[in-house]
Amino acid sequence: MKLVSRHIDKHGAGHVTLRPEDDEDMWHLYNLIQKGDSVRAPAVRRVQSVTSTGSTESHRVRLNLTLDVIKVEFSASGAPGAAAQDAAADQTGSSSATATTATLHISGPVTSENQHVRLGAYHTLDIEANRDVRIEKADGWDSIAISRVEEAIVPGRGAEVGAVVCGEGTAAFCLLSQHMTLVTHRISMPIPRKSASSGASQHEKGLQKFYATLYDSFVRHIPFGNVGLKAIVIASPGWVRDAVFDHLVSESSRRGDKQLHKALKEKVIKVHVSSAHVHSLVEVLKSPEIATQLKETKFAREGIVLDKHVFFKMLGSDEMRAWYGPDHVCLAADRGAIGVLLISDDLFRASDPTTRKKYVAVVEAVQQKGGEVVIFSSMHESGQQLNQLTGIAAILTFPLDIEVVEAEEREEEERKKLEAEEKEAGNEYHT
Amino acid sequence: MEGLNLNQKDDTPGTPEEPPKITYAREKLLEEARRSLAAEGQHDRKGISIVVIGHVDAGKSTLMGRLLYESGRLDEKTRRANEHGSSKAGKSSFSWAWGLDGTTEERERGITMDIAQQSLTTPHRQITVLDAPGHKDFIPNMISGASQADCALLVVDSATGEFEAGFDRGGQTREHLLLVRSLGVSQVIVAINKLDQVEWSRARYEEICALLRPFLVQTGFHPSKTKFVPVGAMQGVNLAAREGDDAKELNEWYSGPTLVDLLDILEAPTRDITAPLRIPVSNVFKSQGSGIAVAGRLCGGVVQVGERLRVLPGDESGTVKSIEIEDSSVPWAAAGSNAVLYLTGIDPVNVSIGSVLCTPADLVPLTTRFTARIIVFDIQVPITAGASVELYHHSRDVPATTVKLISTIDRASGKVIKSNPRVLTKGTSAEVQIALRPTGSTNIARGIPLESFAVNKDMGRILIRRGGETIAAGVVLDIFS
Ligand SMILES: Nc1nc2c(ncn2[C@@H]2O[C@H](COP(=O)(O)OP(=O)(O)OP(=O)(O)O)[C@@H](O)[C@H]2O)c(=O)[nH]1
Ligand SMILES: [Mg+2]
Repeated sequence: MKLVSRHIDKHGAGHVTLRPEDDEDMWHLYNLIQKGDSVRAPAVRRVQSVTSTGSTESHRVRLNLTLDVIKVEFSASGAPGAAAQDAAADQTGSSSATATTATLHISGPVTSENQHVRLGAYHTLDIEANRDVRIEKADGWDSIAISRVEEAIVPGRGAEVGAVVCGEGTAAFCLLSQHMTLVTHRISMPIPRKSASSGASQHEKGLQKFYATLYDSFVRHIPFGNVGLKAIVIASPGWVRDAVFDHLVSESSRRGDKQLHKALKEKVIKVHVSSAHVHSLVEVLKSPEIATQLKETKFAREGIVLDKHVFFKMLGSDEMRAWYGPDHVCLAADRGAIGVLLISDDLFRASDPTTRKKYVAVVEAVQQKGGEVVIFSSMHESGQQLNQLTGIAAILTFPLDIEVVEAEEREEEERKKLEAEEKEAGNEYHT
Repeated sequence: MEGLNLNQKDDTPGTPEEPPKITYAREKLLEEARRSLAAEGQHDRKGISIVVIGHVDAGKSTLMGRLLYESGRLDEKTRRANEHGSSKAGKSSFSWAWGLDGTTEERERGITMDIAQQSLTTPHRQITVLDAPGHKDFIPNMISGASQADCALLVVDSATGEFEAGFDRGGQTREHLLLVRSLGVSQVIVAINKLDQVEWSRARYEEICALLRPFLVQTGFHPSKTKFVPVGAMQGVNLAAREGDDAKELNEWYSGPTLVDLLDILEAPTRDITAPLRIPVSNVFKSQGSGIAVAGRLCGGVVQVGERLRVLPGDESGTVKSIEIEDSSVPWAAAGSNAVLYLTGIDPVNVSIGSVLCTPADLVPLTTRFTARIIVFDIQVPITAGASVELYHHSRDVPATTVKLISTIDRASGKVIKSNPRVLTKGTSAEVQIALRPTGSTNIARGIPLESFAVNKDMGRILIRRGGETIAAGVVLDIFS
């Protein structure tokens, strides 16, 4: 994303103009723009005019519109759900490939005077790549929003890792960039299992067909030649990844595809995972082969923080230092006990201004105490898993018994209530 | 049920393939099935199915291959071909295993990857054998096999250090036993194998029995339904007989039953033939003629040739052209049988492993959300609300989430210990709510066929795994439809 201009004063008031360039930038904008903001972006309106002969004519005009945002909608066709499970495959065994382009729609009443559009008319802006979007925040720019802008404008973009998570007959093609995982294509082909009556030949035939389909999809959906693509992961349980890799290599040399052959040799990392579902991507990212290669990337860090290495590991070894859920985590924050805060971008996006402020305050409090804050992207598998775990979790610097803390909170409340009552009684006495 | 009037008049004529006719009216069919099941074992053999389980390389396939040979199910020609083939591949020690390890990959690696189904007869039993893979990564396939079995044959390697490796935490001896027990298997035969590697040591045999016994009890196997037998699978010692030079050392201290003796007295479970028909599909392949072949075990009810069956999920139906049990053609099949159904008039795209076949009048419900009573296994990381897991049901596994931890429960009294627990740690019993995660790009989870345990035991058992480890097993309480 390009930063076109930025005018934010020290109180957080002001506006920022950004120029989105790819799917990931749409995701950033989706996270930045909230209900109540004022957004200015190009739009196309159909206008009618009356010609000199008296007939009406309709034509399209390009114009800039400013809206008072009521609704923000984002959709990425390849959002990570999970692996295609059911045999929803068509005859050829693969679902039709659609190029993944994220869309972002912003709607609300028009607030700027315009010769073509009436003030207050409801309009939906269809945000387009390479066109400037100006955002002005109703409540001012908080630290989360500002750091989002800063992250979004870091140059260098696109998918950094391609991944194929496969099992016998299934494959999911994924592209991982800093903030999103896109499942760009899925294959799900029924492969007969070996059986006493049909032997193993139908099984072998099915596998050969699967490898062939996978080759074609690989060529189409993994941008293996891109310099930005650091690695291509082939992950599976069992030995499917070996068979798949061997097939890709031998088929590419048979077809004389030198570029693919070279990319396979240089970029492919085979990783063992426990299941062929897309959620195994979390296992991929924490595997040592990948972790070292990608240690600076955001998604690898998210996967590691959530997984065995940090949060879940802590939950297993010292339950009193791994807390989750908004209420519990806020309590831990009040006590200055948070060492690592895991928070999903979903919480900032979905909440009303007061709740958002609360979360921003928690984040800032943790940072001030020198704690680490990891904001998870809901467009990554790890972020989705955190979302299911209420979207917020924390690793404490010292063990705290949640039941004791809750009891103390209740006592404190009682005490305050009592104090207030006494004060009131005292006041009465004095008057 | 009443509406399902299966007689010949109802049969719609005119379909190109000319569907086979239904022979029995439903009541007649039930009567026939009941009579025939009651008579089973008097003149012929009782049917039973057994899953062969155990740690990787324990010798499961070798044992079954050898046993099939000794009972005449594997002919001399095939045996020679396997001997030749395996030695050419530099894998001669897997010669017997090749009788079951049929795919190229399995043979190349000397590892079973998927269930091999075979049949075997003993004097009083007709046994369907399901040889399971022992490797950790193929547990999904092992589960698919175990959910089609009445009993289990556990094979353990007695070689020094090998038994221990399989029985340690993370070894498949433990996990497999837990899995089959959770899937309703209550009888187990433990074959202590490779005793040739420990000089047929009686002390070693007894040591292993002593280590296993308490674990079996703790896992829920009644001692009266647990049998042990010393064997040497490779040399065929104490499988069907205990004769010849190879058996000399064992004969010095052992005079008990052979493996076949034990198989011959396995109890056949009761079959619920009056329940609605449920056939969870474990395999789909092309049949020789037109149409498709669908394999699975009947979890309830009876099915006969000519009947129209519905496939769920989906809208597809097909007509049963013929039924095969243990390679012979039969007019009908009843609950408990592992059958292959040949279906016509059906688009194969709509039938897949994991589908459930039922009668159009009594459909299995589809669900994406349900409550379950679970027992948490020996796990290190506790289960949280919102944990990402995989749900296993028969031959299907789907991504799911434990959306709600409802309560922890005292196993003995069934009373609630704590409502809304924060986490579930190992060994707890709990009530939880589970939801399937969306699959595909739609962001809507697709329902799977599932029933409460109270309605159909075999359709109401689930397993929960995470990161390649089984973390809990349970039964379905209520489904949200
Ligand atoms: N010495 C000896 N070796 C045996 C015996 N039984 C099996 N083996 C060897 O053990 C190895 C593994 O045998 P398999 O039958 O493939 O074992 P498995 O349990 O089926 O293995 P998976 O299915 O892959 O889990 C082979 O090399 C066999 O020759 C036995 O009684 N004695
Ligand atoms: Mg085997």
